[in-house]
Amino acid sequence: MLPIAGAASETTNQAGSFYKVVFDERFPLSAAFGDEWKARGAAVHAIRGDITDLWFHDLDPQWKKRPLPIAGLTAHGPLFCLERLAWDRGMRVVSRIEQQSHDGDGQPLVSWVIAPKERT
Amino acid sequence: MLPPGVNSKDFSDALKQFESAVGKEWVFTSDEDVALYRDAYSPFWGEPEERVASAAVAPDKVEEVQAVMKIANQYKIPVYPISTGKNLGYGGSAPNLSGSVVLDLKRMNRILDVSERNHSALVEPGVSYFDLYRYIQERKLKLWVDVPDPGWGSPVGNSLDHGGGYLQPMYRNHFDSHCGMEVVLANGDLVRTGMGAMPGANTWQQYKFGFGPWIDGMFSQSNFGVVTKMGFWLMPEPDAYLTGTVTVPKYEDLIPMVDILTFLENSGVSNGMPGLGSPILGGFMMPPPAPEVTAMLAKPDGGVGSAELHQYAQDKGIPFWSCTVKFYGPAKAIREQWEYAKEKFSVIPGAKFQDGEFYKLPLTPDQFDKVHKPEFGLPSLETFSIGARSPINPTPTNGHIWFSPIIPRTGEAVLEANKVFSQAARDFGLPILSFSLPSTYWMRAFIFIFGFPITHDVATNKKNRESFKQLVRIAAEHGWGEYRTAPAFQDAVMDTYSFNNHALRRFHETVKDAVDPNGIISAGRYGIWPKHLRGTKA
Repeated sequence: MLPIAGAASETTNQAGSFYKVVFDERFPLSAAFGDEWKARGAAVHAIRGDITDLWFHDLDPQWKKRPLPIAGLTAHGPLFCLERLAWDRGMRVVSRIEQQSHDGDGQPLVSWVIAPKERT
Repeated sequence: MLPPGVNSKDFSDALKQFESAVGKEWVFTSDEDVALYRDAYSPFWGEPEERVASAAVAPDKVEEVQAVMKIANQYKIPVYPISTGKNLGYGGSAPNLSGSVVLDLKRMNRILDVSERNHSALVEPGVSYFDLYRYIQERKLKLWVDVPDPGWGSPVGNSLDHGGGYLQPMYRNHFDSHCGMEVVLANGDLVRTGMGAMPGANTWQQYKFGFGPWIDGMFSQSNFGVVTKMGFWLMPEPDAYLTGTVTVPKYEDLIPMVDILTFLENSGVSNGMPGLGSPILGGFMMPPPAPEVTAMLAKPDGGVGSAELHQYAQDKGIPFWSCTVKFYGPAKAIREQWEYAKEKFSVIPGAKFQDGEFYKLPLTPDQFDKVHKPEFGLPSLETFSIGARSPINPTPTNGHIWFSPIIPRTGEAVLEANKVFSQAARDFGLPILSFSLPSTYWMRAFIFIFGFPITHDVATNKKNRESFKQLVRIAAEHGWGEYRTAPAFQDAVMDTYSFNNHALRRFHETVKDAVDPNGIISAGRYGIWPKHLRGTKA
């Protein structure tokens, strides 16, 4: 399985650790990432750059109830949006790793994990 | 970081009192939490001049806002209210004055009323366009919200910043479409405007003006109070949507084309956000220009108005200009309105017409996926999927700031503005296109919008800041003023509104001193500094 690079432990690399795993079906590397997580039983959500549907129909209603961790391998734009929306629900990007290989239209991809902010 | 002029004991005491007022978990002081309020598109990113907050406090209700204001006044703590803080390109959630405490109103996210009969809503500042859209959809109300693009901001924040959308003109200018507001003043007093000032009136979202001076405008692009409720007029869901495009052959045809478009809009014949384009020049939403055209534009004696380009367009049969007009309304009526528009445009020799989209509303799921969503009142984040990618910024960096001057709504002004900005681009190496057309169409004016890329490279940002200020100055020399700008440039822009020795700014300052004598609200916002900082920051 393609790892969610930088995930803190083996536990967070388990399929059930994330409410959703997000991938961008435009990019082969990201699509393969989504396929592998789906094969492991994770709930995956495909995007094509735009996170509006994911946000409006899925994450927003869920995150209004309680923060839930998600992970993904996408271009920067979708992560930029998700990160800011997550901040408003008490969540943070806890892992963010640039992928070495560019993909698709030349945009660099990044693997990431968004999780509830640890109480201090 | 401490707020300027506040000692550590007073700041600590104030923070404790903020905690008592709103709850400890809603006062944010850690570096990690405060960093979230940085402007992601700050043109000062990583430099000492970057405007950053010292803390943030997030009240849940108006009484808590009042309490925070009283505490802030007692300790002279500068506060910077934000709604959702997502006006990226115009400052985000970062304050004008470093060390301010961000007054984050995101928890005040109640939709207090939506009236399908009056086509109106009353909302708190933390309500996003997505929230309001969801509320309407869940109740199957036949109402549309005019949303900006992207649509993750709030109706209150966007309208107070003079943001705009895409629907009918009376909704497109979001501040124009508001009706009534509630404001907490610096001393904690609570004011309602319009009919909201009359206890028991049920017309707060029906009649804007109430009795006496209409003061709502004083709370937009300003720092005279904290808006805690705002009413809006919503658009009844139309029966249908239709577009049509007219093309004209000659460079100078832009002038009658704009005049006819303006007549049609001001007459209410066409009522969607129009779109001017240039098939010969290409650009936004159009194929790029042919290589020969690009070469002609690059010549020292070339340019958009050159005889060579004009002849090329004629020889190739490529229209110089296009205008897509859009209609909301009853299906039968808007088809007739398009026919009427064709008649009007037909006075331009060589005008040709093409029927565009027609949708009986509501959209089907297939149609939903294809359309530019804000033109159907649908909030969207799709713009981030293309990033800031554009011909002048083919490799998106870290964001952008908008240069957005108001231009007269005439073809002559569009052509003149392009000559001026193209010359400026050559003189100063500015990163703008060789030709631009209006991005936003107000009822009586155009807005040009140029994106300046923001990077995390100090030297590049410094160069772009200087370029931006040059453009502000050059635009003002021609009478074209910015309609909105990021905090980094608000003083420079306010300087250009200088009639009668800056009488407008002096009036703003007089009001500021009267309603916020300690200068605690949004110091410096839109060039209005409190007395104790005046002259030291601008």
